[in-house]
Amino acid sequence: MVQRFVRLILWSALLMLTACATRMTDPLAPMSMPPEDTLNGSAAETLWQQAVIAREQNQLSAAGRYLERALYMQPESSWLYRELAELRLREDDPKTAEVMAQRALRLAPKRPAYQAALWQLIATARARQGNEDGAARARLEADMLMRRQQYR
Amino acid sequence: MSASRKSPVKKKSPSRKASAGPSAAAGIRWRRLLWQLLLVGLVISLLGLAWLDARIRQRFDNHQWQLPARVYARPVELYSGREMTAQSLDQLLSLLRYRLDSAAREPGSYARFAGGVLLHTRGFRDSDGGEPAQLVRLRIDGPRIGKMTDGSGRPVAVARLEPLQIGSIHPGHSEDRVLVRLEEVPPLLVHMLMATEDRSFHEHHGISIRGLMRAVFANLRAGEMEQGGSTLTQQLVKNFWLTRERTLSRKLIEIPMALLLELHYSKAQILETYLNEVYLGQDGGRAIHGMGLGAQFYFGRPLAELEPHQFAMLIGLLKGPSYYDPRRHPERARQRRDTVLQAAASQGLLDDKVLSHFRNKPLDVVPKGGSALYAFPHFIDLVRRQLGRDYPPHILASEGLIIHSTLDVLAQLVAEQKLGEFLVPHKEVNGAVIITAPDQGDVLALVGDKSPRSAGFNRALDAQRPIGSLAKPAVVLAALQQPAKFHLGSVVTDGPFQVRMEDGQIWQPQNFDNQSLGAMSVTDALAQSRNQAIARLGLDAGLGEVIRTFQKLGVQSRIPPYPSIFLGSLSLSPFETAVMYQTIATGGQRTPLRSITDVLDRHGQPLARYPVRPEQVIDPEPAYLLQWALRQTMTQGTGRYAVAQLPEKLVVAGKTGTSDGQRDAWFAGFSGSHLALVWLGRDDNGDTGFTGSSGPLRIWTSIMAALPQRPMRLAPAAGVELVWLDPDGKRLSGRGCDGAREYPLITASIPLQSTACGKVQSVPGGIRKWFKGLFD
Repeated sequence: MVQRFVRLILWSALLMLTACATRMTDPLAPMSMPPEDTLNGSAAETLWQQAVIAREQNQLSAAGRYLERALYMQPESSWLYRELAELRLREDDPKTAEVMAQRALRLAPKRPAYQAALWQLIATARARQGNEDGAARARLEADMLMRRQQYR
Repeated sequence: MSASRKSPVKKKSPSRKASAGPSAAAGIRWRRLLWQLLLVGLVISLLGLAWLDARIRQRFDNHQWQLPARVYARPVELYSGREMTAQSLDQLLSLLRYRLDSAAREPGSYARFAGGVLLHTRGFRDSDGGEPAQLVRLRIDGPRIGKMTDGSGRPVAVARLEPLQIGSIHPGHSEDRVLVRLEEVPPLLVHMLMATEDRSFHEHHGISIRGLMRAVFANLRAGEMEQGGSTLTQQLVKNFWLTRERTLSRKLIEIPMALLLELHYSKAQILETYLNEVYLGQDGGRAIHGMGLGAQFYFGRPLAELEPHQFAMLIGLLKGPSYYDPRRHPERARQRRDTVLQAAASQGLLDDKVLSHFRNKPLDVVPKGGSALYAFPHFIDLVRRQLGRDYPPHILASEGLIIHSTLDVLAQLVAEQKLGEFLVPHKEVNGAVIITAPDQGDVLALVGDKSPRSAGFNRALDAQRPIGSLAKPAVVLAALQQPAKFHLGSVVTDGPFQVRMEDGQIWQPQNFDNQSLGAMSVTDALAQSRNQAIARLGLDAGLGEVIRTFQKLGVQSRIPPYPSIFLGSLSLSPFETAVMYQTIATGGQRTPLRSITDVLDRHGQPLARYPVRPEQVIDPEPAYLLQWALRQTMTQGTGRYAVAQLPEKLVVAGKTGTSDGQRDAWFAGFSGSHLALVWLGRDDNGDTGFTGSSGPLRIWTSIMAALPQRPMRLAPAAGVELVWLDPDGKRLSGRGCDGAREYPLITASIPLQSTACGKVQSVPGGIRKWFKGLFD
């Protein structure tokens, strides 16, 4: 009983803290590819660049095709999954966006800022699916990573 | 008297009246009737012409060719670093019918140089815009593509070979054609056609009096209808609006229609329509129309790549596609081809030397079964079913949709070859193979018969068979999703037990070797495929949980609510079983298996995309644990054969399965890049003589060895820790302690007690557990 009560208080406090502390960054805001990403210098990078151009011209379907082709060539690229997640968000498909962002996270290099950005993406995808609890937890993860980054 | 002096009244003589009057009146009546008849005839003719005119314009203006949907394999990407041997590249170029040419001058040709190939690719359209035809010089460095440059020596990052057409979707009896625009048609073909069929095409207005007279004389001489004397315009009229029979009445309608056609439409429009309309042969229920498809059907290449002797053959076929069929009557066809070449030469289109050169050429016709169009009937079956959800049959049969599929031709050929080779000595046994790309959910290969060109029963999609031990990972996963109760080191007993079912029957699971091995870890129970241990685990985890886990993994068939499903008394098709393992291979992300990536309209404009849409259905932590356990199956359990054969660095995971009486033998396993499932069984449901290890695992291993591979990732998921446990799995242990083993465990399932090599240490478990509970 006491445990339940403490748990409730703790989670509420965490969620409030997250809401106050996390800067609501735009998950679609431009960011840069981590230098360790396997995409760097590969043939698939050309396809990613074409995807970026297609996305800027609002040709989202073509952009998706470029990214899928690039992923066949560089399946270990966290950045390509991030880009696909972002694209699916633009296409209003937050469910797929979340899965893609999780794949990006699984492959991500140990860069807190980059990982935090991925958690932000997951938070946005969850929020758009109506999963507010999940979104808050993802924001908390992002915030913790950002704090770790500040202490470095 | 007076009366007598009266001048006599001139009366018309009755006799004259009788003789001249009626005939004149009749003449006038006849003339009038004749005029009336002529007038009526004229009106009828005018009405008839107006009707014909309307009919011609209506059909010609609104004509839309009925085109079946065409299905293409995945285009092959070429880039530096890609795994591709010279042999694989040769195989691809041969399938795409690239021509060896010293300078690769034309699209669809290639040249060899020391250590590489100069390719002139054919362009194509795709949903991302497609690919231009281009020159690519690529080096082959051992098993990989090395440096790639263009014709001017500039680096090329990525190029694609055009997708291979692997099928078309049309009803049983229909016309098929590949539309060509006049500007795409080689001018020599057009000139040769006119030289043979209608030399005055550009001079006449639809009919040629000279041609007609020649035909009349010829027919009179022969005493029967021997020649038509038709112009190309008349032939088009005949093909488009009239019947094929040679009668006078048809001829009488054909002439005004040809004149009207020429009145309304340009010579270019008529010629283009003619080239697309002509009938060139029959392929079962499929009628081959148009020069575009004729080129593909007889020579396996686009029209633009044919040579003069092949143009001549196509033109020669117009006279009688069946009679001059080059496959069935090669001698007769050759004579006809040479006649066309001679006619072209007589018109100055070919000089004597060129004529002689091409007359000496063989027919160069591809064998009928040699086309990739019929090579993969079971994969096309899958495409047809998946397309059928979004497009009604009449759209698929008529709108000329372009379907880009996920088929990897090289993977498909490997799967066919390995299954076929293995089953050569086993005549009664058949099988199925499915290969997918786990991350994308793409079906790369699908074989539904050991005779892969046979379009019969598609075992990959339609055979419903007990999956045997392939069900066990679902049981283990159901348990691992309850971390407070189970982990991979939990001990289960492999021993006899019985369960009374609701209907009163007793279920008493037995092991394959009829032995019981006693206490063992969950990991070992799975790796060694122990029936009694897994059945106990299933009962402890809960039948409902196991059924829910099957469903989460993607099983849509009805799952009988009996514990025997723990051991695979659950009938699924190989395809549905592959769906289940796909979710396991992706770490709990259910990815619907797709065979289509894009649909384009007949002009190459994108209509629909089928993007990858995975869904996280199993938490990543238990999904990871299951992958780890399936890895142990390969290193220490029933899959050891594969690990011994495959490269050491290739990390793979999988599971064998055998149903009762060895009626079905299965293996499903995956690397980082491929998931492959192999099933063997007999159509009469008899004993195959194989277990999962002795049959399907062997085929699976040879398939995986032949494909370019990437090892699976086995880095622990977040929330999972590697810990050492004592043999009973209840306490943490030290590395190297007697019987201790290392397992990945979900944090919540890590035991609170530890033992330092047999010495139990007290851990303030209560406090730790209390705090852990806050976050569970």
